[in-house]
Amino acid sequence: MGAVAAPSATGPTADGRLPGAGGDAAFGTWHGGRIDWIGYVFVAFFAIPFMVFNIMPILFGIYVGFTDWSIIGTPNWVGLANFERAFADEWVWGAFANTLIYASMIVPGVTVLALVFALFVNQGWPLSGLARTLFFAPNVVSATVIGLIWVWILDTQFGIVNQYLAPIGVDAIPWLTNVTWSKIGVSIASIWWDLGLAFILFLAALQGVPTELYEAAEMDGASRFERFWYVTLPQIRPTLSMVVTLQLISTMRIFSQVYVMTNGGPAGSSASVIHYIYRTAISRYEMGYASAISMLLFVLILVVTLIQRFVLKERGHG
Amino acid sequence: MADAIPAKALLDRRIAGSSLTFRDLPIWLIGMAVVLIWAAPFVWMVSTSLKPVSEVMTREIEWLPRTVVWDNYLKVLDYPVVRWAINSVIVSVTATALCVVFGALAGYALARLRFPGRDTIFLIFLASIMVPAEITFVPMLIAMINVGWANSYQALILPTVANVFSVYIFRQFFLTFPSELEDAAIVDGAGRFQIFWRIAFPLARAPTIAATVIIFTLNWNNFLWPLLVTFEENMKTLAVGIAVFAPVVGSNTQLDTFGIGMAGVTLLSIPSLALFLFLQRYFIQGITSGSLKS
Amino acid sequence: MTLQKGWTRRHFVNSAATLSALLAAGGFRPTRAVAQSSPIELVHWSWLTASDGEVWAKMIDAFNEAHADKNVQIRMEVIPFEEYPLKVLASVATGQAPDFGWGTAGLNAKYAKEGVTVPLDDLVGEVGLDLADFSESALNASRYPQYDNQLFMVPMDLMSLQPEVNLDHVAEAGLDPAAFPEDGAGLLEWAKAMTVMNGDAVQRSGIMMTGSGVQPTVTWGIVAEQMGFRRASDDLKTAAVNPEAGKQAMEWVLGLFDQQKVSTRDVTDRYKAFGTGEGSIFWTGPWTLNGYVQQGLNFATYLFPNIGGEQRTYFEMGGLELYKQSDPGRHAATLEAVKWLSDNSFLWTTVGRGASPRTSILEREDYKTAGLPWDVRGAFVEGLDFATIGEIPVQNAPDFTIYSGDNFLAKTLEGVWINQTSIDEAMAKIQEKWQADLDAG
Repeated sequence: MGAVAAPSATGPTADGRLPGAGGDAAFGTWHGGRIDWIGYVFVAFFAIPFMVFNIMPILFGIYVGFTDWSIIGTPNWVGLANFERAFADEWVWGAFANTLIYASMIVPGVTVLALVFALFVNQGWPLSGLARTLFFAPNVVSATVIGLIWVWILDTQFGIVNQYLAPIGVDAIPWLTNVTWSKIGVSIASIWWDLGLAFILFLAALQGVPTELYEAAEMDGASRFERFWYVTLPQIRPTLSMVVTLQLISTMRIFSQVYVMTNGGPAGSSASVIHYIYRTAISRYEMGYASAISMLLFVLILVVTLIQRFVLKERGHG
Repeated sequence: MADAIPAKALLDRRIAGSSLTFRDLPIWLIGMAVVLIWAAPFVWMVSTSLKPVSEVMTREIEWLPRTVVWDNYLKVLDYPVVRWAINSVIVSVTATALCVVFGALAGYALARLRFPGRDTIFLIFLASIMVPAEITFVPMLIAMINVGWANSYQALILPTVANVFSVYIFRQFFLTFPSELEDAAIVDGAGRFQIFWRIAFPLARAPTIAATVIIFTLNWNNFLWPLLVTFEENMKTLAVGIAVFAPVVGSNTQLDTFGIGMAGVTLLSIPSLALFLFLQRYFIQGITSGSLKS
Repeated sequence: MTLQKGWTRRHFVNSAATLSALLAAGGFRPTRAVAQSSPIELVHWSWLTASDGEVWAKMIDAFNEAHADKNVQIRMEVIPFEEYPLKVLASVATGQAPDFGWGTAGLNAKYAKEGVTVPLDDLVGEVGLDLADFSESALNASRYPQYDNQLFMVPMDLMSLQPEVNLDHVAEAGLDPAAFPEDGAGLLEWAKAMTVMNGDAVQRSGIMMTGSGVQPTVTWGIVAEQMGFRRASDDLKTAAVNPEAGKQAMEWVLGLFDQQKVSTRDVTDRYKAFGTGEGSIFWTGPWTLNGYVQQGLNFATYLFPNIGGEQRTYFEMGGLELYKQSDPGRHAATLEAVKWLSDNSFLWTTVGRGASPRTSILEREDYKTAGLPWDVRGAFVEGLDFATIGEIPVQNAPDFTIYSGDNFLAKTLEGVWINQTSIDEAMAKIQEKWQADLDAG
C-alpha cells in the first residue's frame, strides 16, 4: 500500500523534523494545505504489523477461498465451487440464520440494559461505585470462565436459574439442551459478558451531558421520562449509534461463548457462522470452503452494519 | 414541631445525607438487586473454587462453602501455572505496550497531520474489524512454522499488535486536542516526533489508560491463536493452560476437575479485574474523552 | 495464473504464507529443538489428558529411565485433542512434524493418502516388532485397504462401549445386580424400574441419554448394527446396507425418550450426570473408569445386551502413528521406541485405558488383578469379543463414525431426535452422503 511505501520514497528529513515553515513547493499540498509527510512514518509503526498480520493473511484467505486447499496437498483453483457449495449447504444457512437471531437478541439486550444500568449508576446514589465496578467486571473475564460458570448456571437439572425458577412454578427450562432454547441460553450469557463496555461508554456519555440542560428541563416541569427522552437521548445519540455498531459487529462474529457453552448443539441450533467456519477449518481443515464462508460473512456484516448506520442516522434527523 | 411533614416533602427527603430520596428508594433497591444478580456468577466461581470435591456438586444450591479448602488451588499448582502466568505477562504486557504506542502514533497522525490517503487508511483500518479473523489463523500458523517462529514469544505477540481499537481511541482523542499547545512547540522549532513525545502523548493519559485496559484484557484472555501456535507445555499462556481444566461441554469425564477449573479461572480473572479496579476512574475518563465526539 | 502450472500452487501457498511472517523480521531459528544425530530426542505428541494422560506420562518416563544411557529420549508434548489434526498437518506440511503421536484406528486414511503417516510394514521387520503377538482384528484395524493394505499404526489399546450401571439405583429398584439383562426387553425392564419420574416427565434417566451429541448417535449406531444395518458393505462399495434396520434403530432410540420414557433429553453433560447419580445405565468407554472410581461412585460394568438380534458393540482402537520426517533415518529409531512402549504396555492396558491387543500381555496371570477391580474393568476386556463396530477406513471416515457429537451423522440424526426430520428423510440423507464418501475412496 502507498501508505507504507511512501516514506521511503519521499523521505522526511532524517531527524523527523518538518520542512521549514512556509512549505517547500517540492512537498506539494493537500486540500489546500501543506502535506505532513512525516504522517506516513507515524502511521507506519502500526500499519506494517497491520499489513503483515491482518491484510496479507486476509488476502491469502481470499485466494484460498477459490481453491480446494486442505493444508496438506496442493491447492487447486476451483473457481466459485466453494461458494456454490456454501449456498447449497443447509448447515451454512442454519448458521447464518442463527447468527442473525443472536444479533436480534444480544444487540438490543446489551444496548437497552447497558443504558438503563448507566442511567442508574449515573444518579450517584449510595453504592453506585460498587455497581459500576460490577456491571463492567464480566467484560474482563475470559471465554473459559463463561464456559465453566454459565454452563453450570444454566444446567437444566442442576442449574441455579432453574432451581430459583422452580418455586415460582416454572418447569425446568432446557436452556442449553433444546433447539428452541439454546440460542436464548447462549444469548443470556453473552449479554452478561458483553454488557460492560457498552455500559461504560453510556456512563461516560451521560457524564458529558451538561447539567444546565437538566435544570432547564426540570424548571419546565418535565417528568423523569421526558427529561430522558428530550434531553438525555439526543445528547447521547452518537454514543448510542456507536454502541449499536460495535455490538452488532462483535455479535455477528460470535464464537467463543458458543464454543464453550454448547459447541453449536443441539442439532446445530446454536452454531454461529464463525463456529461453523472454525469446525470446517480447524477440525476438517477444508480451508478453501471455510475461507469462502468467511467472505460471505464479511459481506453480511458489512451490509447489516451499513443498514444499521443508515437507520440510526435517519432517525437522528427525524 | 407539631406540624405534620407534608407527604411530598417526606418523599423528597434525602436518606442519611446521600443523594437518594425516599421517592427513589424502590428504584435503588431494584437496581441493587440487579447488581447482586450481576455479581452472582463471580461469587459462585470463587465459592466453588474453595469447596472440597464432595461439596462441589449438590442438589441444593450452596452459595458458600461449608468448609473452605485450598486443595483446588494447590492442585492447579501441580501444573506449570507459574510458567503460564509468566508467559501471559510477557506476551500481554509487550503486545499491549506496542499496540498502545503504535496506536497512539497512528491515531495522532490520522487526527492531526495532513497527508494524502489519510482518511482512506483510517477507513481500511475500520473495515478490517468486520473481517472474521479466525480465517487468517491457519495460513498464519503455517507461515509461523515455516519461518521457525511457531511456539515462540514473537508468534504470540506480533499478530496481536495491530489492534485497530487503539488507533480509534487515540484518533478520537487527538481530534479535539487543542492545537495551541502544538503551535507553540512548532514555533520553537520542535519536530513532529518531539511534539508527540513531549506534549501530545503525555497529555493523552486518559485514552492511554482506556486503551491499555481494553487491549490488555483482550490479550490476557486471547485464546484461539495462542492455542494454535503453542506446541509445548511451557510456552502456553495462562488462558490456554487453564482451559485444560475446563474442556468443551460434555468431554470431561472427571468431576473432581470442576473445583480445580473454578480455581483456575479465578486465578486467570484476577489480573485483568485488578487492572480495571485500579484504573477504573481514569478508564472512564479515557472513554469519555475518547468516544464522546465520535 | 500465468505462472507455470505444477510449480505454482504449492510454492505460492508456502511463499505467500511465509512472506507474511518474514516481512516483520527474518532470521530467527526454530525454537523447537531440532534433534541432532546423537543423542536422539524423539518428539512425541499426545492428546491424552486427565488420568489417561498421567498414566501415559508414566510410560514415557519409564522409557526415558530405561534409556538413560542409550542416547534415546522421548520428549512428550500434550496437544489439545481438538487442534491435534490441524497441528500435525501444519507441522508435516512444513517438514517439522513430531516423530510419533496418538491416533485412532481407521480414521486417518487421509493421512495415509497424503503421506502424513509412515507405512510401517518394512520398518516392523527392521526393528523386530513381533506382529504375531497382536490380535488379528487389531492389526486389520490398523491397515488401510486402499493404500496397499499397509500397517499405519502400532495398536496400543482396544476399547469398547459397555454399560456402566449405578448399583445404588439397582438396589433401590430391588433388582439383582448379578442378573443384568442380556436382551432388549430385559434392558428396558431394568431401565423402567430405575427411572424416576416427575409427573409425566423423566427426571432421572434409567438409560442415560442426551438430547443430542454423542450418546444418542452411538446408541443408534450400535442398535442399528445389531439389527443388521451396515454403514458400508465389506467391499466398501455400497453405503447403508439394509436401511430398514437403520430406521428401526432410530425408532428404538426415539422410543427411549417418548414411548418407553426411560430417558430425558435434558442432560447437558452425560459424564457429570452419571457421576452424580442422574442416570442409571450408561454405555461408555473404559476412559471413564478412573474418574468414577476415584470419585467413589458405586457402579459395575456389564456386557452390552443383545438388543437387535446380533450382539455387537462399538470398537475403538488407540495406537501410535509415525509422522513423516524430513530425515527418514529417524523413522527406525522412532519405531524402536514405539516397540518398547508396546512391549511394556502392561501398565497402560491395566491402570491406563482399554485392553491390550497383545496376547502375551493378556495372558499374564496378574492381568486381571492389576489396575481397577474386575467388576468395573472386566466387561471392557471380555466384551471385546463382540466389539466389532469399528471405523470405515476411507478418506471421509469421520463422516461414518458413530462415536461423534458433531460429524455429519450426528448432525443428521439430531434432527430425528428432536422430531424435526423424519426418519425416512434422515436415512435418505445418510445414504446419499455415505455413498458419495465411499465413491470418493
